[in-house]
Amino acid sequence: MKKIMTIILLLFIICSSAFGSLEKARQHFNNPNVDRKNEKITYELIMGDYYFSAIPFAIKHLVNAQKINPEFERALKSLIIKAGPEIFFDVPTEALLRHESPTLYFVLGLKFFHEKNYGQAIKYLEKIPDDNYLQPEVRLTKGAAYSLLGNSDAGYTEYKKCYTHAENAVSATSNDKIKRYYAILKETCLIHVARLKFTSQEYDKSMEAYDEIDKTSYKWPYVLLEKAWVKYKQNDYNRTLGLLVTYKYPLLESYFMPESELLTALSYHKLCLWEDALSVVDQYYKIYKPRSEALASVLIKNKTSDSYFFYLTHESTQMLEAKHPFIKSLITQIKKTVKYNVEYGAYKIAMKEAILLKKMHRDDFIRMLIEDTDAQINLKIKSLNWYIKEYMYEFINKINGLSFQLFKIRIDIMSKKRDLIYKGTKLIADRGRGDLQHVKRTVDEQFWEFTGEFWADELGDYSFGLKSNCEEVKQRTFEDVKKEILEEEKGKMNTEKKDEGSKGAKND
Amino acid sequence: MTKSIVTIFIFTLLTSSFPAWAENKKEKVVVEYKKYERFDLGNLEIQGSVIAPGDVSVKERERKVLETDFYDKKDYFPDIRRDVLNLK
Repeated sequence: MKKIMTIILLLFIICSSAFGSLEKARQHFNNPNVDRKNEKITYELIMGDYYFSAIPFAIKHLVNAQKINPEFERALKSLIIKAGPEIFFDVPTEALLRHESPTLYFVLGLKFFHEKNYGQAIKYLEKIPDDNYLQPEVRLTKGAAYSLLGNSDAGYTEYKKCYTHAENAVSATSNDKIKRYYAILKETCLIHVARLKFTSQEYDKSMEAYDEIDKTSYKWPYVLLEKAWVKYKQNDYNRTLGLLVTYKYPLLESYFMPESELLTALSYHKLCLWEDALSVVDQYYKIYKPRSEALASVLIKNKTSDSYFFYLTHESTQMLEAKHPFIKSLITQIKKTVKYNVEYGAYKIAMKEAILLKKMHRDDFIRMLIEDTDAQINLKIKSLNWYIKEYMYEFINKINGLSFQLFKIRIDIMSKKRDLIYKGTKLIADRGRGDLQHVKRTVDEQFWEFTGEFWADELGDYSFGLKSNCEEVKQRTFEDVKKEILEEEKGKMNTEKKDEGSKGAKND
Repeated sequence: MTKSIVTIFIFTLLTSSFPAWAENKKEKVVVEYKKYERFDLGNLEIQGSVIAPGDVSVKERERKVLETDFYDKKDYFPDIRRDVLNLK
């Protein structure tokens, strides 16, 4: 009973303080003599948890003020966390540059990164102090900017710092959602280190970094493909095939990656197992052609819509399944991304605000807040709609692009088969299907025999044991057969002659 | 008239009986044909053969090697950029 009373009391205090803040904001708005009006309204609205309503007032203050104070910096932090940094992307650069604000330096850095001006991005990100709450994101962005500028050493250093800052952020918070966000950020930095090592062809070090990603991580299924590429580069095609076969695990059904099919075909091709490679190529056409068509029909029909794809993520599993099972799986994949979750979280906050505002008595101030919040909601819907649409377009283009790559493998195999016929040779075919002796293992790599079942602890540690079929052996040609017949006839003639000679000698 | 007819008759009779008279003057020629001839097939040989349609022969020429520029992963720059753009 006491507990219930405490909760009711707390709710009452929160509601009254929120209402109080909104009331104060209204008073500031209606008072023509109030000093630093926009700044004060921003504070009051943030205090009352009206973040999206506060955005236009905060922007007005940034544009008009010559200097911002530390309290406003804290307000900016709240807005960035709740609504995302892109809310300030439309503020003129001169206005953003005028203020000595770490939060605005981050906005500038990100804005220049979007514009592919990586040098400028680094310049502003460097101004952010080491103890700032945005350090994990800042280091990741700087690392990426350095990498894209070709300075992998500086990139590597930034990623290492990103890892440390993100790890500290994980242990500093008790909120599960925030913990998960920083854990993903930490893993992203680690993956970027592995990618840099991959680019500089330091494959062992790249693999070491990838191996640090835990199997329970959200990022782990995506890492499998990248690990497979490392093994492919190390000419360990059996391990490549083993890593890729993990995607057949039923629970990884939504993690379908067309590139994994290509890498499988390439690995078989390298092992000269042409029939296997060709069957992967055929399988790709069978599986991805209907998927590509289903996706194309959805994309073409709703290409110009600003909201269709956003609302598609709200449809029930049955409805999505009815459209095409592949669309359902793709939507599941999109809904698992960080971008979608963060943006959708912001959309929900904005919606909650709008619902509260629409229940209030509508004077000029409330009407303006409703209008501004609705505009912010529409922006979020458009932004998410664009993200989903872009994701789908990239996916379909990848499917089509990779099908051309698979076609090239097919052509190459046909050409190689023809060469063998001309040379009168064939590939050695009397090989066992797989053997442990062909499995390469490092000291810390596990070995599990696959018996038709996937076990969680085995996932990602599979390896095929196929022997390369690239050895060529001479094949009997028409000429060979002709020679053999002639030699046989010669042999017969000689024996007959000998027989006749011996008979003649006897008769004599 | 009767005279001229008699002259033509005598002339015709003389010209037609002359070759027969000349032939009777020549010796009789006896033509002897070969009674049999021997063909020795053992010394002949058949060269070449009828080529079956499937036996396609191609002139020796330099083989054209197909370019094998298969898909290759060299870097992850687009993914690195995308990760930052989709950060928040």
